[in-house]
Amino acid sequence: MRLENPRPDETVNYSTEHPLKEFAWLLAGVSAVVAAAVALAGYFAGELAARVPFRVEKEYAAGIARQWEERQLTPEAAHARAALRALAAKLAAAMALPEGMDVTVHYDDAKTVNAMATLGGNVVFYRGLLERLASEDAVATVLAHEIAHAKLRHPASALGRGVAVGVVLSVVSSGMGRSVGGDPVQLAGMLPLLKYNRDQERAADEEALAAVAAVYGHVGGAREVFTVLGKLGGDEAARVGILQTHPLGSERLARVDELARLRGWAREGPVRELPPALAQLKPAKRAE
Amino acid sequence: MQAFFEYFDLLLFVVLLALGYGIGRMNEQRHYRSIRQRERELAGVLAFGIRFPPDPKTPRDCVLVTGSVVVSSDYFKQFVAGLRTLIGGRMAAYESLLDRARREAMLRMKADAVRHGASLILNVKVESTNVGGGMRGGVPAMEVFAYGTALKPPREAPRAA
Repeated sequence: MRLENPRPDETVNYSTEHPLKEFAWLLAGVSAVVAAAVALAGYFAGELAARVPFRVEKEYAAGIARQWEERQLTPEAAHARAALRALAAKLAAAMALPEGMDVTVHYDDAKTVNAMATLGGNVVFYRGLLERLASEDAVATVLAHEIAHAKLRHPASALGRGVAVGVVLSVVSSGMGRSVGGDPVQLAGMLPLLKYNRDQERAADEEALAAVAAVYGHVGGAREVFTVLGKLGGDEAARVGILQTHPLGSERLARVDELARLRGWAREGPVRELPPALAQLKPAKRAE
Repeated sequence: MQAFFEYFDLLLFVVLLALGYGIGRMNEQRHYRSIRQRERELAGVLAFGIRFPPDPKTPRDCVLVTGSVVVSSDYFKQFVAGLRTLIGGRMAAYESLLDRARREAMLRMKADAVRHGASLILNVKVESTNVGGGMRGGVPAMEVFAYGTALKPPREAPRAA
């Protein structure tokens, strides 16, 4: 018997293909499939959720509304809320809300620089944002934007979309393992979701501009709002548009001008001062 | 600076991936060079899976020889393997890792045989155990263990007084 240990054949047990080649096509392929699955699931879930009757959505969100209504407000905050509600009523009248839909504005004394529309037609305006706006027109633009979200059923569709996309991404991440690999593929999955979000913001902007133009005769308030929000976001050159939840401030400003030109709205006009209940929220200016 | 913080997660991922690829690949190439060289040096030590010596009548002493190695994946391999688990197919990222581990374990076993003065190992078996990646999210690490029965010339029997 002849005994022999030949040298291992280096072409059998492992691949000699360049690892970056496999990496590139796997990453591109999996990301594309995940993004497509998220886009599809998100689209159908969002459309479906937006078709739930508003009455059902409002019942579902009763707890949210109660939570805001039952808060103890200072007299100053109560006045601010009343002023916001009066402004919202004026805007909603110009926005042709679907039958059976109503919007409730809540005021939050927090310094958060934000306003949001949530389920059941509940809109929350934070003191932090109010403090940065200098005119009624600007506050009205923000309010109209949030009312437009409610009118277009964005909170419901965002919830439906979020659930569907969450399921898709959790299946993908559990398949891949938690610690590694999930992030870039999840990011690819988030891209369509962020796109839907930005599209909703654009649609709400458009509705809001029409309402503000109808009530005030010009869209100067929107220019103020998007300038303030653009500055808050910091340097736009450092931000990648497709990774943002909202369109960049400069894009929104440009859209205001474009829509004003297309629809014949005045870009500027007489600016109304803040109602006293809102003006008193602004921090006293320091002596120079 | 704003961009740095804004996309920190993504940057961190790219840096870890680049480090995993660069250092992992460098280590792998260096390891293969070392494996090939030692395989040449230990070519005189033969290892087989057969259970009985080819010439059972020749008197020999037997000794258990072992070689063990624990290998871990790098970030790049883990990522590519993670993508691969979604669609199946040949997991090339881990093939070279395990090939190195098996060959290293065999070499260590042969080195053990040389220490015992043996040049023939029979009934060789190679086993592997997952030591680090049992739980999801753990770093995949394997122990590869090679063992066999080395045959060496018999020690001279002590002479009677």
